Amino acid sequence: MLRKKALLLIVIIAAFILMTYQGKKGTIGSLTSLNALLQTAQHAVSSVTDSLSRPFRTMALREEDNTRLRKRVDQLLLEQSANQEATLENKRLKDLLKLRDTHRNYITAARVISRGIGHWEHTLVLDKGLKDGIVRDMTVMTPLGLAGKITSVSESYATMLWISDINFSAAVRTREGRHEAVLSGTGSRLCLLKYMPYEEEVKPGDVVITSGFDAFFPPGIPVGYVSKIDTRGIGGNFQYIEITPFQDAAKLEEVIIVR
Amino acid sequence: MRYAAWLLAAFCALLLQGRVSVLGIVPNLTVLLAFYAGIRYGANQGLLAGLLIGFVEDSLSGSLIGPNMLAKGLVGYVAAFFITGGLFRWTPLLGVFSVSALTLAGNIVTVLAKTLFDKMPGSIASIIFISVMQALLNAMAGAFMRPEHAD
Repeated sequence: MLRKKALLLIVIIAAFILMTYQGKKGTIGSLTSLNALLQTAQHAVSSVTDSLSRPFRTMALREEDNTRLRKRVDQLLLEQSANQEATLENKRLKDLLKLRDTHRNYITAARVISRGIGHWEHTLVLDKGLKDGIVRDMTVMTPLGLAGKITSVSESYATMLWISDINFSAAVRTREGRHEAVLSGTGSRLCLLKYMPYEEEVKPGDVVITSGFDAFFPPGIPVGYVSKIDTRGIGGNFQYIEITPFQDAAKLEEVIIVR
Repeated sequence: MRYAAWLLAAFCALLLQGRVSVLGIVPNLTVLLAFYAGIRYGANQGLLAGLLIGFVEDSLSGSLIGPNMLAKGLVGYVAAFFITGGLFRWTPLLGVFSVSALTLAGNIVTVLAKTLFDKMPGSIASIIFISVMQALLNAMAGAFMRPEHAD
């Protein structure tokens, strides 16, 4: 009994010493080879479950799709003539998008294959890695806006930190007012806009974009919109502003990585 | 053979944690392994198995190494006292209750350690929600994990 208690005490003291050491010197190395093995297994499981469920999903959707598509064909025939002008406009916008992509230093597109291992870290595992040109601290985004950043990379896989993780922060500004601030994750679905003085006017619905001043994220990427403002002083010397990200982590399937 | 089965179980638990979620909550399957090691093989083995599982989990999560080690180690140790140490006699209901309680306790230890040595991993509301959900998700497993000489 005494031996058991002594062992427990030793373990608790050792754990505290280990965590204190890491608190001062930073976290110690991770099991990269096991991580790579786990990510490979996750990729394999993902492929198998996808291939098994696809035929069933297809069958279930086919009937519904048939009805919907018949209605859609009738509707499209009517809209066809009216859409000719929109097609020309679309072509011009596509050209503009190509130009924007070039300026954003597009690296690659990737698929989300699983969530990260930790319960408290909001991380996702991507199916691209070093061999596709991804390196640490690259920006991860979707057509809706900023999704996060790359925190670790192996040969074939990368781990991204989600925008609402407690350890995430980015230099941002409001698109309308051009007020600069810092966006921080909260560990829940929302983010906080920090260091916004009371004299700056920010309204609910204002869009927040990256400013590029942190040298990590390219400027101009949409991040989210202001969903709540509290000016009653709970934010201390600054306004308390909640941001709802445009991209929902639960619906994230494909991302692009930019430099 | 026994060690290979444990390694496989730990690997599958970590693999499943990355793929399964209920209402956005990832089940805490590794705590079940530490609990089972405790009730099956005693306090010392439970403690060591929990430490090892926690170390691997901490290391793979890429953050501070220690919080999960400590939490899982304690779960393995306490589980042995709870059921096989003569404090209570095992019943399926006690299994359900103890798995839930130890999942909650493990999460409290993890969060406290992270808060003390790194950062609080989320708002208090989200931590409570995640911990309670994980305790509920794990609860049923307690009815099926029985000590060797339960009867």
